[in-house]
Amino acid sequence: MSLVLRNLQRAVPLRRARLREKVQAARRALGVQRFDLGVVCVDNRKIQQINRIYRDKNTPTDVLSFPFHENLKAGEIPQPDFPDDYNLGDIFLGVEYIFQHCQENEDYYDILTVTAIHGLCHLLGFTHSTEAEWRKMYQKEKQALEELSGHTGTRLQPLSRGLF
Amino acid sequence: MLPLLRCVPRVLGTAVAGIRAAAPSLPLLQPASRPCARPFGLLSVRAGSVQLPGLLRPWGPCGCGCGCGGLHTEGDKAFVEFLKDEIKEEKKIQKYKSLPKMSGGWELEVNGTEAKLLRKVAGEKVTVTFNINNSIPPAYNGEEEPSEGQKVEEQEPELTSTPNFVVEVVKDGSNKALVLDCHYPEDEIGQEEEDQSDIFSIKEVSFQSTGDSDWKDTNYTLSTDSLDWGLYDHLMDFLADRGVDNTFADELVELSTALEHQEYITFLEDLKGFVKSQ
Repeated sequence: MSLVLRNLQRAVPLRRARLREKVQAARRALGVQRFDLGVVCVDNRKIQQINRIYRDKNTPTDVLSFPFHENLKAGEIPQPDFPDDYNLGDIFLGVEYIFQHCQENEDYYDILTVTAIHGLCHLLGFTHSTEAEWRKMYQKEKQALEELSGHTGTRLQPLSRGLF
Repeated sequence: MLPLLRCVPRVLGTAVAGIRAAAPSLPLLQPASRPCARPFGLLSVRAGSVQLPGLLRPWGPCGCGCGCGGLHTEGDKAFVEFLKDEIKEEKKIQKYKSLPKMSGGWELEVNGTEAKLLRKVAGEKVTVTFNINNSIPPAYNGEEEPSEGQKVEEQEPELTSTPNFVVEVVKDGSNKALVLDCHYPEDEIGQEEEDQSDIFSIKEVSFQSTGDSDWKDTNYTLSTDSLDWGLYDHLMDFLADRGVDNTFADELVELSTALEHQEYITFLEDLKGFVKSQ
């Protein structure tokens, strides 16, 4: 269903159509294209503010996820009773943070894709607070990225690589 | 019949009391130095009477003695004094004494309240037009009670001008302009902390002939209300490639706010001169 994209920042020039294409591909790879999703692109100031308010961490970060369906088991695809509940929630992409941490040999929109998949996995109940939880999430991200790579020819690595 | 001036406080309310506080010695609507020669009872307007309301009838040459032919009432004097103070305060808080420049090589043309920004980009001419009239959204915090310890003066919000703006793109050698009507988000009550709107949005898109000065209603106009999101993003990218991006939109607010403030001060000065008329 709908992918609503918002760009609230001016720190990084953003190609909206290209980002949309990448996030749509990520949704298909995770099998959640029938769910509404919001992607909000923000700068360091804004993501730091959100990180502070909701996670008590006064620092910018790459992605924050706000699930519509809370308490999902890792990887559980919601089965809503009502059309309005076909909604995964919102992902805030810290595009300035991501841009600043992007290596020279990395494509910025590939990194945005990897980050979006990480954020989507969080919306689907995956976490990485423990090693066991991290393993499940890592596998899911890897699976989605392999499917994307099959279409695009790129070899992208999960954002959660190296967390444990 | 009640004397007219006894009725005035009920008609004009606290405004009269306030002005009276400034000039307690003279009745409000009488010319300054000429004593009233009529009993107040005869100053009211009778239905069907051809007689002009006595209070508003000019007394021949101006009663204050300046000889200009205009009307100078005590109210006018108080108004002029008020305007002097208002102009002084507005100039004090004026953020930009001259209009701020836009980055990106835009040329600015101002015609009264309408401004045009022009730019040539490799074979294309891009024009952005906006008008500062009615460009300041209403503030919704006027009805809030001041919180404890907060002075009323601290509550005054900083006014910003967020005009709708129209972007026209014309390719060299063509008489067809792609015209995009763009708006800033409207602040809704209760949304201050959850603002997730784009900095600006495209509302309508149309082709217009460069020869026509007026918008033609017979040309198809695409509304973005129910537009495919992918197409919308391409239109936003199209604008960004021509310099109309989030940075531009933020700078336009600064420019429009500065221009609006400048026009407001000029208007106050003209109003002072008009009322004073000496």
